Amino acid sequence: MKSLLGGGAAAAERRAELALRALAMGVLVVIAGIAITVFTKAWPSFAHNGIAWFGSGGDVDTQFNAMINGSRDPAHYVYHFRAWPLIWGTLLTSGLAVIFGMVISILAAVFVVELAPAQVKRAIDPVIRLLAGVPSVVYGLIGILAIAPWVEHHLISNQRKRSVEYVVQLTGANLSVATLILTVMIVPIMVAIIASALESVPRTWTEGSAALGVNRWRTTWRVSLRTVRPAIVAAAVLATARALGEAIMLAMVAGSRGFAPNPLDGVTFFFEPVRPLAATIIHYIDDLSIVPVAQTLYAMAAVLLVSCALLSLAGWAAKQPMKRYGIRA
Amino acid sequence: MRTRTLTVSLIAALTLAVPAVAGARALLIDGSTSVFPLMTQLAAAYHKATKEPTPKVGQGTSDVGVSDVAAGRVDIGDVSRNPEEGDPKGLTFTKIARDGVCMITNPKNPIGNLNQQTVQAIFTGDVREWSEVPGAKISGPIDLVDRIASSGTQAAFQDIFLGEALKISPSAEAEESNGLVQNKVKTDEDAIGFVSFAFTSGVNAVGYQGIPCTLQNAKSGQYQGVRNFWMVTKGAPKGAAAKFIEWVTSSKNASARKIINSEWIAIH
Repeated sequence: MKSLLGGGAAAAERRAELALRALAMGVLVVIAGIAITVFTKAWPSFAHNGIAWFGSGGDVDTQFNAMINGSRDPAHYVYHFRAWPLIWGTLLTSGLAVIFGMVISILAAVFVVELAPAQVKRAIDPVIRLLAGVPSVVYGLIGILAIAPWVEHHLISNQRKRSVEYVVQLTGANLSVATLILTVMIVPIMVAIIASALESVPRTWTEGSAALGVNRWRTTWRVSLRTVRPAIVAAAVLATARALGEAIMLAMVAGSRGFAPNPLDGVTFFFEPVRPLAATIIHYIDDLSIVPVAQTLYAMAAVLLVSCALLSLAGWAAKQPMKRYGIRA
Repeated sequence: MRTRTLTVSLIAALTLAVPAVAGARALLIDGSTSVFPLMTQLAAAYHKATKEPTPKVGQGTSDVGVSDVAAGRVDIGDVSRNPEEGDPKGLTFTKIARDGVCMITNPKNPIGNLNQQTVQAIFTGDVREWSEVPGAKISGPIDLVDRIASSGTQAAFQDIFLGEALKISPSAEAEESNGLVQNKVKTDEDAIGFVSFAFTSGVNAVGYQGIPCTLQNAKSGQYQGVRNFWMVTKGAPKGAAAKFIEWVTSSKNASARKIINSEWIAIH
Protein backbone atom coordinates (compact mmCIF):
# COMPACT_ATOMS: atom_id res chain seq x y z
CA MET A 1 0.00 0.00 0.00
CA LYS A 2 2.71 2.36 1.08
CA SER A 3 4.96 1.61 -1.91
CA LEU A 4 1.99 1.94 -4.25
CA LEU A 5 1.25 5.41 -2.98
CA GLY A 6 4.92 6.34 -3.18
CA GLY A 7 5.14 5.08 -6.75
CA GLY A 8 2.00 7.01 -7.66
CA ALA A 9 3.38 10.18 -6.12
CA ALA A 10 6.69 9.76 -7.95
CA ALA A 11 4.88 9.25 -11.26
CA ALA A 12 2.69 12.27 -10.61
CA GLU A 13 5.78 14.29 -9.84
CA ARG A 14 7.38 13.18 -13.10
CA ARG A 15 4.25 14.03 -15.01
CA ALA A 16 4.10 17.48 -13.41
CA GLU A 17 7.74 18.05 -14.23
CA LEU A 18 7.20 17.06 -17.85
CA ALA A 19 4.15 19.28 -18.11
CA LEU A 20 6.04 22.26 -16.70
CA ARG A 21 8.94 21.64 -19.06
CA ALA A 22 6.54 21.45 -22.00
CA LEU A 23 4.95 24.73 -20.92
CA ALA A 24 8.33 26.44 -20.63
CA MET A 25 9.32 25.17 -24.07
CA GLY A 26 5.94 26.30 -25.39
CA VAL A 27 6.64 29.85 -24.23
CA LEU A 28 10.00 29.79 -26.01
CA VAL A 29 8.34 28.51 -29.21
CA VAL A 30 5.72 31.28 -29.04
CA ILE A 31 8.41 33.95 -28.58
CA ALA A 32 10.44 32.57 -31.48
CA GLY A 33 7.25 32.47 -33.57
CA ILE A 34 6.49 36.11 -32.82
CA ALA A 35 10.03 37.19 -33.70
CA ILE A 36 10.04 35.22 -36.97
CA THR A 37 6.60 36.53 -38.02
CA VAL A 38 7.48 40.13 -37.27
CA PHE A 39 10.81 39.99 -39.09
CA THR A 40 9.51 38.21 -42.22
CA LYS A 41 6.58 40.62 -42.50
CA ALA A 42 8.89 43.58 -41.88
CA TRP A 43 11.52 42.54 -44.41
CA PRO A 44 10.14 44.22 -47.59
CA SER A 45 10.09 47.62 -45.88
CA PHE A 46 13.74 47.30 -44.76
CA ALA A 47 14.80 45.77 -48.08
CA HIS A 48 13.36 48.64 -50.15
CA ASN A 49 14.78 51.43 -48.02
CA GLY A 50 18.03 49.90 -46.84
CA ILE A 51 19.83 51.57 -43.95
CA ALA A 52 18.11 54.85 -44.93
CA TRP A 53 14.99 53.44 -43.28
CA PHE A 54 16.45 54.67 -39.98
CA GLY A 55 17.47 58.03 -41.42
CA SER A 56 15.61 61.31 -41.78
CA GLY A 57 14.13 62.91 -44.87
CA GLY A 58 10.64 64.10 -45.65
CA ASP A 59 7.52 63.81 -43.57
CA VAL A 60 6.48 60.37 -42.26
CA ASP A 61 2.77 61.10 -42.53
CA THR A 62 3.14 62.18 -46.16
CA GLN A 63 5.05 58.95 -46.79
CA PHE A 64 2.28 56.89 -45.15
CA ASN A 65 -0.34 58.70 -47.24
CA ALA A 66 1.64 57.87 -50.38
CA MET A 67 1.49 54.19 -49.39
CA ILE A 68 -2.24 54.40 -48.64
CA ASN A 69 -3.07 56.16 -51.90
CA GLY A 70 -0.47 54.19 -53.85
CA SER A 71 -0.89 51.21 -56.14
CA ARG A 72 -2.55 48.00 -54.89
CA ASP A 73 -0.51 46.03 -57.41
CA PRO A 74 2.32 44.14 -55.66
CA ALA A 75 4.71 45.05 -58.47
CA HIS A 76 4.18 48.78 -57.82
CA TYR A 77 3.89 48.99 -54.03
CA VAL A 78 5.15 52.25 -52.56
CA TYR A 79 7.65 51.62 -49.75
CA HIS A 80 9.58 54.88 -49.39
CA PHE A 81 9.94 55.50 -45.67
CA ARG A 82 12.30 57.44 -43.38
CA ALA A 83 11.58 56.60 -39.76
CA TRP A 84 13.91 59.04 -37.97
CA PRO A 85 11.18 61.42 -36.65
CA LEU A 86 9.44 58.47 -35.01
CA ILE A 87 12.67 56.99 -33.62
CA TRP A 88 13.69 60.42 -32.32
CA GLY A 89 10.24 60.76 -30.75
CA THR A 90 10.64 57.40 -29.04
CA LEU A 91 14.10 58.31 -27.72
CA LEU A 92 12.89 61.70 -26.50
CA THR A 93 9.75 60.59 -24.68
CA SER A 94 11.29 57.46 -23.14
CA GLY A 95 14.64 59.09 -22.35
CA LEU A 96 13.22 62.23 -20.73
CA ALA A 97 10.60 60.29 -18.79
CA VAL A 98 13.18 57.81 -17.45
CA ILE A 99 15.63 60.58 -16.47
CA PHE A 100 12.96 62.59 -14.62
CA GLY A 101 11.40 59.41 -13.25
CA MET A 102 14.75 58.21 -11.95
CA VAL A 103 15.37 61.32 -9.85
CA ILE A 104 11.84 61.41 -8.50
CA SER A 105 11.65 57.71 -7.71
CA ILE A 106 15.05 57.51 -5.96
CA LEU A 107 14.08 60.43 -3.71
CA ALA A 108 10.60 58.98 -3.15
CA ALA A 109 11.99 55.53 -2.31
CA VAL A 110 14.48 57.02 0.17
CA PHE A 111 11.63 58.94 1.79
CA VAL A 112 9.38 55.89 2.01
CA VAL A 113 12.04 53.60 3.46
CA GLU A 114 14.26 55.87 5.57
CA LEU A 115 12.24 58.89 6.59
CA ALA A 116 8.49 58.28 6.50
CA PRO A 117 6.73 57.60 9.82
CA ALA A 118 5.19 54.13 10.05
CA GLN A 119 1.62 55.31 9.45
CA VAL A 120 2.53 57.32 6.36
CA LYS A 121 4.46 54.33 5.03
CA ARG A 122 1.47 52.08 5.59
CA ALA A 123 -0.68 54.48 3.57
CA ILE A 124 1.85 55.06 0.77
CA ASP A 125 2.68 51.41 0.03
CA PRO A 126 -0.76 50.37 -1.31
CA VAL A 127 -1.12 53.67 -3.17
CA ILE A 128 2.13 53.06 -5.05
CA ARG A 129 1.06 49.54 -5.93
CA LEU A 130 -2.33 50.81 -7.10
CA LEU A 131 -0.76 53.53 -9.27
CA ALA A 132 1.59 51.00 -10.85
CA GLY A 133 -1.44 49.03 -11.98
CA VAL A 134 -3.56 51.81 -13.53
CA PRO A 135 -4.20 51.01 -17.22
CA SER A 136 -2.44 53.46 -19.52
CA VAL A 137 -5.64 54.35 -21.38
CA VAL A 138 -6.88 56.00 -18.17
CA TYR A 139 -3.77 58.21 -18.12
CA GLY A 140 -4.39 58.93 -21.80
CA LEU A 141 -7.96 60.08 -21.15
CA ILE A 142 -6.89 62.37 -18.31
CA GLY A 143 -4.21 63.74 -20.62
CA ILE A 144 -6.43 64.43 -23.61
CA LEU A 145 -9.45 65.76 -21.69
CA ALA A 146 -7.76 67.73 -18.90
CA ILE A 147 -4.03 68.32 -19.27
CA ALA A 148 -3.68 68.93 -23.03
CA PRO A 149 -6.42 71.63 -23.22
CA TRP A 150 -4.97 73.32 -20.12
CA VAL A 151 -1.46 73.38 -21.57
CA GLU A 152 -2.82 74.72 -24.85
CA HIS A 153 -4.72 77.56 -23.18
CA HIS A 154 -2.19 78.60 -20.59
CA LEU A 155 1.29 77.69 -21.76
CA ILE A 156 1.30 78.08 -25.54
CA SER A 157 1.10 81.70 -26.62
CA ASN A 158 0.06 82.86 -30.08
CA GLN A 159 3.57 84.24 -30.64
CA ARG A 160 4.99 80.82 -29.97
CA LYS A 161 2.51 79.24 -32.38
CA ARG A 162 3.34 81.81 -35.06
CA SER A 163 7.08 81.31 -34.64
CA VAL A 164 6.84 77.80 -36.11
CA GLU A 165 3.50 77.86 -37.95
CA TYR A 166 5.05 77.18 -41.35
CA VAL A 167 6.74 74.07 -39.99
CA VAL A 168 4.34 72.59 -37.51
CA GLN A 169 1.15 73.36 -35.64
CA LEU A 170 1.48 73.59 -31.84
CA THR A 171 -1.36 72.16 -29.75
CA GLY A 172 -1.87 70.82 -26.25
CA ALA A 173 -0.88 67.33 -27.34
CA ASN A 174 2.91 67.65 -27.38
CA LEU A 175 6.28 66.48 -26.10
CA SER A 176 5.97 68.06 -22.63
CA VAL A 177 2.53 66.57 -21.91
CA ALA A 178 3.60 63.16 -23.23
CA THR A 179 6.76 63.18 -21.10
CA LEU A 180 4.89 64.37 -18.02
CA ILE A 181 2.26 61.62 -18.17
CA LEU A 182 4.81 58.97 -19.12
CA THR A 183 6.89 59.97 -16.07
CA VAL A 184 3.85 59.67 -13.82
CA MET A 185 3.18 56.24 -15.33
CA ILE A 186 6.63 54.76 -14.78
CA VAL A 187 7.50 56.30 -11.38
CA PRO A 188 5.37 53.95 -9.21
CA ILE A 189 7.00 50.80 -10.57
CA MET A 190 10.48 52.31 -10.09
CA VAL A 191 9.68 53.42 -6.54
CA ALA A 192 8.39 49.95 -5.70
CA ILE A 193 11.56 48.22 -6.96
CA ILE A 194 14.04 50.66 -5.39
CA ALA A 195 12.14 50.80 -2.07
CA SER A 196 12.06 47.04 -1.69
CA ALA A 197 15.80 46.90 -2.40
CA LEU A 198 16.51 49.65 0.15
CA GLU A 199 14.55 47.68 2.73
CA SER A 200 16.77 44.66 2.23
CA VAL A 201 20.03 46.54 2.86
CA PRO A 202 21.50 44.83 5.96
CA ARG A 203 20.79 46.91 9.03
CA THR A 204 24.34 46.32 10.33
CA TRP A 205 25.81 48.23 7.37
CA THR A 206 23.85 51.40 7.99
CA GLU A 207 24.28 51.05 11.74
CA GLY A 208 27.98 50.61 11.26
CA SER A 209 28.11 53.79 9.24
CA ALA A 210 26.06 55.66 11.85
CA ALA A 211 28.36 54.35 14.61
CA LEU A 212 31.30 55.96 12.82
CA GLY A 213 29.54 59.29 13.20
CA VAL A 214 28.31 59.63 9.62
CA ASN A 215 25.03 61.53 9.49
CA ARG A 216 21.79 60.04 8.21
CA TRP A 217 21.78 61.65 4.76
CA ARG A 218 25.37 60.62 4.02
CA THR A 219 24.67 57.09 5.26
CA THR A 220 21.70 56.81 2.93
CA TRP A 221 23.63 58.31 0.03
CA ARG A 222 26.96 56.48 0.47
CA VAL A 223 25.84 53.14 1.95
CA SER A 224 22.20 52.34 1.15
CA LEU A 225 21.92 53.78 -2.35
CA ARG A 226 25.34 52.48 -3.31
CA THR A 227 24.30 48.99 -2.23
CA VAL A 228 21.09 49.01 -4.24
CA ARG A 229 22.64 50.22 -7.52
CA PRO A 230 21.77 46.95 -9.29
CA ALA A 231 18.13 47.44 -8.26
CA ILE A 232 18.23 51.00 -9.62
CA VAL A 233 19.53 49.68 -12.95
CA ALA A 234 16.79 47.02 -12.96
CA ALA A 235 14.16 49.67 -12.26
CA ALA A 236 15.50 51.85 -15.08
CA VAL A 237 15.45 48.94 -17.53
CA LEU A 238 11.89 47.95 -16.62
CA ALA A 239 10.72 51.57 -16.80
CA THR A 240 12.41 52.13 -20.17
CA ALA A 241 10.82 48.98 -21.54
CA ARG A 242 7.40 50.18 -20.41
CA ALA A 243 8.02 53.64 -21.85
CA LEU A 244 9.25 52.24 -25.20
CA GLY A 245 6.21 50.03 -25.61
CA GLU A 246 3.63 52.52 -24.37
CA ALA A 247 1.28 53.06 -27.28
CA ILE A 248 -2.29 53.99 -26.39
CA MET A 249 -1.53 56.80 -23.96
CA LEU A 250 1.08 58.32 -26.27
CA ALA A 251 -1.18 57.98 -29.31
CA MET A 252 -3.76 60.00 -27.37
CA VAL A 253 -1.64 62.82 -25.93
CA ALA A 254 1.60 63.02 -27.90
CA GLY A 255 0.06 64.79 -30.86
CA SER A 256 -1.16 63.17 -34.03
CA ARG A 257 1.77 64.29 -36.16
CA GLY A 258 4.93 62.32 -36.87
CA PHE A 259 7.13 65.34 -36.27
CA ALA A 260 10.72 65.42 -34.99
CA PRO A 261 10.94 68.17 -32.33
CA ASN A 262 13.95 70.40 -32.89
CA PRO A 263 16.01 71.25 -29.75
CA LEU A 264 17.28 74.38 -31.54
CA ASP A 265 13.79 75.88 -31.19
CA GLY A 266 14.48 76.56 -27.50
CA VAL A 267 11.49 76.37 -25.17
CA THR A 268 9.17 75.79 -28.15
CA PHE A 269 10.89 72.40 -28.51
CA PHE A 270 8.91 71.13 -25.51
CA PHE A 271 5.60 72.15 -27.10
CA GLU A 272 6.21 70.51 -30.47
CA PRO A 273 4.18 67.42 -31.34
CA VAL A 274 5.89 64.07 -31.29
CA ARG A 275 4.77 60.54 -32.09
CA PRO A 276 6.85 57.55 -30.96
CA LEU A 277 7.00 54.24 -32.87
CA ALA A 278 4.46 52.35 -30.76
CA ALA A 279 1.93 55.19 -30.96
CA THR A 280 2.41 55.36 -34.74
CA ILE A 281 1.44 51.69 -35.02
CA ILE A 282 -1.84 52.55 -33.26
CA HIS A 283 -2.33 55.65 -35.45
CA TYR A 284 -2.19 53.69 -38.71
CA ILE A 285 -3.85 50.50 -37.45
CA ASP A 286 -6.93 51.24 -39.61
CA ASP A 287 -4.81 50.87 -42.75
CA LEU A 288 -3.43 47.45 -41.83
CA SER A 289 -5.19 45.92 -44.85
CA ILE A 290 -2.92 47.92 -47.16
CA VAL A 291 0.10 45.67 -47.61
CA PRO A 292 2.98 48.23 -47.67
CA VAL A 293 1.53 50.05 -44.64
CA ALA A 294 1.27 46.77 -42.72
CA GLN A 295 4.85 45.85 -43.64
CA THR A 296 6.13 49.25 -42.55
CA LEU A 297 4.27 48.92 -39.23
CA TYR A 298 5.81 45.46 -38.78
CA ALA A 299 9.22 47.01 -39.43
CA MET A 300 8.57 49.45 -36.58
CA ALA A 301 7.50 46.56 -34.37
CA ALA A 302 10.75 44.79 -35.24
CA VAL A 303 12.75 47.86 -34.17
CA LEU A 304 10.87 47.91 -30.86
CA LEU A 305 11.47 44.17 -30.33
CA VAL A 306 15.20 44.49 -30.95
CA SER A 307 15.51 47.57 -28.72
CA CYS A 308 13.76 45.79 -25.85
CA ALA A 309 16.07 42.78 -26.23
CA LEU A 310 19.16 45.04 -26.34
CA LEU A 311 17.84 46.93 -23.33
CA SER A 312 17.58 43.88 -21.10
CA LEU A 313 21.02 42.79 -22.30
CA ALA A 314 22.47 46.20 -21.43
CA GLY A 315 20.76 46.10 -18.05
CA TRP A 316 22.27 42.70 -17.36
CA ALA A 317 25.72 43.86 -18.42
CA ALA A 318 25.51 47.02 -16.32
CA LYS A 319 24.61 45.03 -13.24
CA GLN A 320 27.56 42.61 -13.44
CA PRO A 321 30.31 44.78 -11.91
CA MET A 322 27.93 46.11 -9.24
CA LYS A 323 26.80 42.71 -8.08
CA ARG A 324 29.74 41.98 -5.81
CA TYR A 325 28.70 44.12 -2.85
CA GLY A 326 25.22 44.89 -3.95
CA ILE A 327 21.78 43.55 -3.31
CA ARG A 328 20.70 41.43 -6.22
CA ALA A 329 17.63 42.48 -8.12
CA MET B 1 -21.50 10.11 -10.90
CA ARG B 2 -19.76 13.38 -11.37
CA THR B 3 -19.04 12.58 -15.02
CA ARG B 4 -22.69 11.85 -15.61
CA THR B 5 -23.78 15.19 -14.10
CA LEU B 6 -21.27 16.90 -16.31
CA THR B 7 -22.52 15.10 -19.44
CA VAL B 8 -26.12 15.91 -18.62
CA SER B 9 -25.41 19.57 -18.07
CA LEU B 10 -23.33 19.68 -21.25
CA ILE B 11 -26.19 18.22 -23.28
CA ALA B 12 -28.62 20.65 -21.65
CA ALA B 13 -26.36 23.54 -22.53
CA LEU B 14 -26.07 22.30 -26.13
CA THR B 15 -29.84 21.91 -26.58
CA LEU B 16 -30.30 25.42 -25.28
CA ALA B 17 -27.62 26.75 -27.54
CA VAL B 18 -28.71 25.00 -30.74
CA PRO B 19 -31.85 27.08 -31.42
CA ALA B 20 -29.77 30.22 -31.03
CA VAL B 21 -27.33 28.93 -33.62
CA ALA B 22 -30.04 27.62 -35.93
CA GLY B 23 -31.93 30.92 -35.71
CA ALA B 24 -30.13 33.68 -37.60
CA ARG B 25 -26.93 34.99 -36.02
CA ALA B 26 -26.65 38.74 -35.75
CA LEU B 27 -25.26 40.53 -38.80
CA LEU B 28 -21.79 42.00 -38.32
CA ILE B 29 -21.25 45.52 -39.60
CA ASP B 30 -18.34 47.93 -39.30
CA GLY B 31 -16.70 50.87 -41.05
CA SER B 32 -17.17 54.63 -41.11
CA THR B 33 -17.59 56.56 -37.86
CA SER B 34 -19.82 58.97 -39.82
CA VAL B 35 -22.31 56.21 -40.65
CA PHE B 36 -22.14 54.73 -37.14
CA PRO B 37 -24.80 56.93 -35.44
CA LEU B 38 -27.26 56.25 -38.27
CA MET B 39 -26.49 52.53 -38.44
CA THR B 40 -26.96 51.90 -34.68
CA GLN B 41 -30.41 53.54 -34.81
CA LEU B 42 -31.36 51.57 -37.91
CA ALA B 43 -30.12 48.32 -36.36
CA ALA B 44 -32.22 48.82 -33.22
CA ALA B 45 -35.34 49.73 -35.24
CA TYR B 46 -34.76 46.73 -37.55
CA HIS B 47 -34.75 44.38 -34.55
CA LYS B 48 -37.95 45.97 -33.22
CA ALA B 49 -39.76 45.79 -36.54
CA THR B 50 -38.72 42.34 -37.77
CA LYS B 51 -37.67 40.45 -34.59
CA GLU B 52 -34.42 39.60 -36.39
CA PRO B 53 -31.38 39.76 -34.10
CA THR B 54 -30.00 43.30 -33.77
CA PRO B 55 -27.08 43.73 -36.20
CA LYS B 56 -23.81 44.38 -34.35
CA VAL B 57 -22.32 47.67 -35.50
CA GLY B 58 -18.64 48.49 -34.97
CA GLN B 59 -16.55 51.52 -35.93
CA GLY B 60 -13.29 52.00 -37.78
CA THR B 61 -13.07 54.14 -40.87
CA SER B 62 -14.51 53.80 -44.37
CA ASP B 63 -11.37 52.00 -45.56
CA VAL B 64 -11.70 49.57 -42.66
CA GLY B 65 -15.30 48.85 -43.70
CA VAL B 66 -14.19 48.16 -47.28
CA SER B 67 -11.27 45.90 -46.36
CA ASP B 68 -13.19 44.01 -43.63
CA VAL B 69 -16.10 43.20 -45.91
CA ALA B 70 -13.74 42.20 -48.73
CA ALA B 71 -11.90 39.85 -46.34
CA GLY B 72 -15.19 38.38 -45.07
CA ARG B 73 -14.66 39.61 -41.50
CA VAL B 74 -18.03 41.38 -41.53
CA ASP B 75 -21.27 40.99 -43.51
CA ILE B 76 -21.68 44.66 -44.38
CA GLY B 77 -19.19 47.56 -44.49
CA ASP B 78 -20.29 51.15 -43.82
CA VAL B 79 -18.64 53.60 -46.20
CA SER B 80 -19.04 57.38 -46.26
CA ARG B 81 -17.20 58.11 -49.52
CA ASN B 82 -17.84 57.10 -53.10
CA PRO B 83 -16.28 53.89 -54.50
CA GLU B 84 -12.59 54.38 -55.35
CA GLU B 85 -10.28 52.83 -57.89
CA GLY B 86 -8.13 51.21 -55.20
CA ASP B 87 -11.04 49.32 -53.62
CA PRO B 88 -10.93 45.51 -53.88
CA LYS B 89 -12.79 44.03 -56.85
CA GLY B 90 -16.20 42.36 -56.57
CA LEU B 91 -17.80 44.63 -53.96
CA THR B 92 -21.35 45.91 -54.32
CA PHE B 93 -22.01 49.46 -53.06
CA THR B 94 -25.65 50.16 -52.12
CA LYS B 95 -26.48 53.82 -51.49
CA ILE B 96 -28.51 54.17 -48.28
CA ALA B 97 -28.56 57.89 -47.47
CA ARG B 98 -26.95 61.25 -48.07
CA ASP B 99 -25.13 63.26 -45.41
CA GLY B 100 -24.03 66.85 -44.93
CA VAL B 101 -20.34 67.52 -44.22
CA CYS B 102 -20.00 70.65 -42.10
CA MET B 103 -16.92 72.67 -41.34
CA ILE B 104 -16.90 73.41 -37.62
CA THR B 105 -15.28 76.07 -35.43
CA ASN B 106 -15.27 76.78 -31.70
CA PRO B 107 -18.42 78.54 -30.35
CA LYS B 108 -16.15 81.50 -29.41
CA ASN B 109 -15.39 81.91 -33.12
CA PRO B 110 -18.87 81.70 -34.68
CA ILE B 111 -18.03 82.21 -38.35
CA GLY B 112 -21.23 82.34 -40.38
CA ASN B 113 -19.96 81.55 -43.82
CA LEU B 114 -16.85 80.78 -45.87
CA ASN B 115 -16.59 80.80 -49.63
CA GLN B 116 -14.76 78.16 -51.63
CA GLN B 117 -11.65 80.29 -52.12
CA THR B 118 -11.25 80.95 -48.38
CA VAL B 119 -11.88 77.32 -47.47
CA GLN B 120 -9.20 76.23 -49.89
CA ALA B 121 -6.76 78.86 -48.63
CA ILE B 122 -7.34 77.80 -45.01
CA PHE B 123 -7.11 74.04 -45.49
CA THR B 124 -4.12 74.08 -47.81
CA GLY B 125 -2.26 76.25 -45.30
CA ASP B 126 -2.01 79.43 -47.43
CA VAL B 127 -3.86 81.41 -44.78
CA ARG B 128 -2.67 80.69 -41.25
CA GLU B 129 -4.13 83.58 -39.27
CA TRP B 130 -7.76 84.04 -38.27
CA SER B 131 -7.31 87.81 -38.72
CA GLU B 132 -6.98 87.20 -42.47
CA VAL B 133 -10.24 85.22 -42.64
CA PRO B 134 -13.31 87.35 -43.41
CA GLY B 135 -15.97 86.84 -40.73
CA ALA B 136 -13.66 85.42 -38.07
CA LYS B 137 -14.41 86.66 -34.56
CA ILE B 138 -10.98 85.95 -33.10
CA SER B 139 -7.40 86.62 -34.12
CA GLY B 140 -4.61 84.13 -33.73
CA PRO B 141 -3.04 81.27 -35.62
CA ILE B 142 -5.44 78.76 -37.18
CA ASP B 143 -5.33 75.20 -35.79
CA LEU B 144 -6.19 72.89 -38.69
CA VAL B 145 -7.85 69.60 -37.74
CA ASP B 146 -7.72 66.90 -40.41
CA ARG B 147 -8.80 63.24 -40.40
CA ILE B 148 -6.50 60.27 -40.97
CA ALA B 149 -6.12 59.10 -44.58
CA SER B 150 -8.47 56.09 -44.34
CA SER B 151 -11.38 58.36 -43.36
CA GLY B 152 -14.35 58.59 -45.72
CA THR B 153 -15.20 62.06 -44.41
CA GLN B 154 -11.73 63.23 -45.39
CA ALA B 155 -12.12 61.76 -48.89
CA ALA B 156 -15.53 63.44 -49.23
CA PHE B 157 -14.24 66.79 -47.91
CA GLN B 158 -11.32 66.60 -50.29
CA ASP B 159 -13.66 65.88 -53.27
CA ILE B 160 -16.32 68.46 -52.48
CA PHE B 161 -14.42 71.38 -50.97
CA LEU B 162 -10.87 71.17 -52.33
CA GLY B 163 -11.06 69.26 -55.61
CA GLU B 164 -8.48 67.00 -57.20
CA ALA B 165 -5.48 69.30 -57.29
CA LEU B 166 -5.37 70.68 -53.74
CA LYS B 167 -4.22 68.80 -50.66
CA ILE B 168 -4.88 69.50 -46.98
CA SER B 169 -1.75 70.99 -45.38
CA PRO B 170 0.42 68.24 -43.89
CA SER B 171 0.99 70.35 -40.78
CA ALA B 172 -2.65 69.75 -39.76
CA GLU B 173 -3.22 67.38 -36.89
CA ALA B 174 -5.03 64.21 -37.98
CA GLU B 175 -7.75 62.73 -35.75
CA GLU B 176 -8.99 59.14 -35.86
CA SER B 177 -12.75 59.79 -35.70
CA ASN B 178 -15.53 62.38 -36.09
CA GLY B 179 -15.96 62.45 -32.31
CA LEU B 180 -12.31 63.33 -31.73
CA VAL B 181 -12.50 66.22 -34.24
CA GLN B 182 -15.63 67.47 -32.49
CA ASN B 183 -13.91 67.25 -29.09
CA LYS B 184 -10.79 68.99 -30.41
CA VAL B 185 -12.74 71.91 -31.91
CA LYS B 186 -14.89 72.18 -28.77
CA THR B 187 -11.81 72.61 -26.56
CA ASP B 188 -9.62 74.71 -28.90
CA GLU B 189 -10.75 78.25 -29.77
CA ASP B 190 -8.43 78.48 -32.77
CA ALA B 191 -9.42 75.20 -34.37
CA ILE B 192 -11.31 74.46 -37.58
CA GLY B 193 -12.21 70.97 -38.76
CA PHE B 194 -14.86 69.08 -40.70
CA VAL B 195 -17.35 66.44 -39.52
CA SER B 196 -20.51 64.64 -40.49
CA PHE B 197 -23.63 66.73 -39.74
CA ALA B 198 -24.54 64.44 -36.80
CA PHE B 199 -21.41 65.62 -34.92
CA THR B 200 -22.11 69.37 -34.92
CA SER B 201 -23.62 69.77 -31.43
CA GLY B 202 -21.57 71.96 -29.09
CA VAL B 203 -19.61 73.54 -31.96
CA ASN B 204 -20.31 76.20 -34.59
CA ALA B 205 -21.29 74.81 -38.00
CA VAL B 206 -19.88 77.08 -40.74
CA GLY B 207 -21.90 77.89 -43.86
CA TYR B 208 -20.44 77.29 -47.30
CA GLN B 209 -20.87 79.52 -50.38
CA GLY B 210 -23.45 81.62 -48.53
CA ILE B 211 -25.61 78.68 -47.47
CA PRO B 212 -25.71 77.71 -43.76
CA CYS B 213 -24.86 74.09 -43.02
CA THR B 214 -28.24 72.93 -41.80
CA LEU B 215 -30.15 69.73 -42.40
CA GLN B 216 -32.87 71.67 -44.21
CA ASN B 217 -30.45 73.28 -46.67
CA ALA B 218 -28.75 69.94 -47.28
CA LYS B 219 -32.12 68.30 -48.00
CA SER B 220 -33.20 71.07 -50.36
CA GLY B 221 -29.95 70.66 -52.27
CA GLN B 222 -28.81 74.26 -51.73
CA TYR B 223 -25.93 73.31 -49.42
CA GLN B 224 -23.23 71.75 -51.59
CA GLY B 225 -21.29 69.81 -48.98
CA VAL B 226 -23.33 66.63 -49.30
CA ARG B 227 -21.94 63.13 -49.80
CA ASN B 228 -23.31 59.59 -50.01
CA PHE B 229 -23.50 56.85 -47.37
CA TRP B 230 -23.07 53.32 -48.69
CA MET B 231 -23.56 49.79 -47.40
CA VAL B 232 -21.00 47.53 -49.01
CA THR B 233 -21.27 43.78 -49.47
CA LYS B 234 -19.03 41.16 -51.06
CA GLY B 235 -20.88 40.48 -54.29
CA ALA B 236 -24.60 41.24 -54.51
CA PRO B 237 -26.26 41.33 -51.06
CA LYS B 238 -27.77 37.98 -50.11
CA GLY B 239 -29.46 36.28 -47.15
CA ALA B 240 -29.75 38.22 -43.92
CA ALA B 241 -27.61 41.07 -45.25
CA ALA B 242 -29.91 41.51 -48.27
CA LYS B 243 -32.94 41.54 -45.95
CA PHE B 244 -31.46 44.29 -43.76
CA ILE B 245 -30.30 46.41 -46.73
CA GLU B 246 -33.72 46.02 -48.38
CA TRP B 247 -35.38 47.10 -45.11
CA VAL B 248 -33.11 50.16 -44.88
CA THR B 249 -33.49 51.29 -48.50
CA SER B 250 -37.14 50.43 -49.17
CA SER B 251 -39.11 53.56 -50.09
CA LYS B 252 -42.16 52.07 -48.38
CA ASN B 253 -40.45 51.67 -45.01
CA ALA B 254 -41.66 54.67 -43.01
CA SER B 255 -39.71 53.93 -39.82
CA ALA B 256 -36.33 53.70 -41.59
CA ARG B 257 -37.11 56.87 -43.58
CA LYS B 258 -38.01 58.68 -40.35
CA ILE B 259 -34.68 57.73 -38.73
CA ILE B 260 -32.68 58.72 -41.81
CA ASN B 261 -34.47 62.03 -42.18
CA SER B 262 -33.89 62.93 -38.52
CA GLU B 263 -30.25 63.92 -39.14
CA TRP B 264 -29.49 62.69 -42.66
CA ILE B 265 -31.16 62.74 -46.07
CA ALA B 266 -33.18 59.80 -47.37
CA ILE B 267 -32.44 58.88 -50.99
CA HIS B 268 -36.06 58.63 -52.13
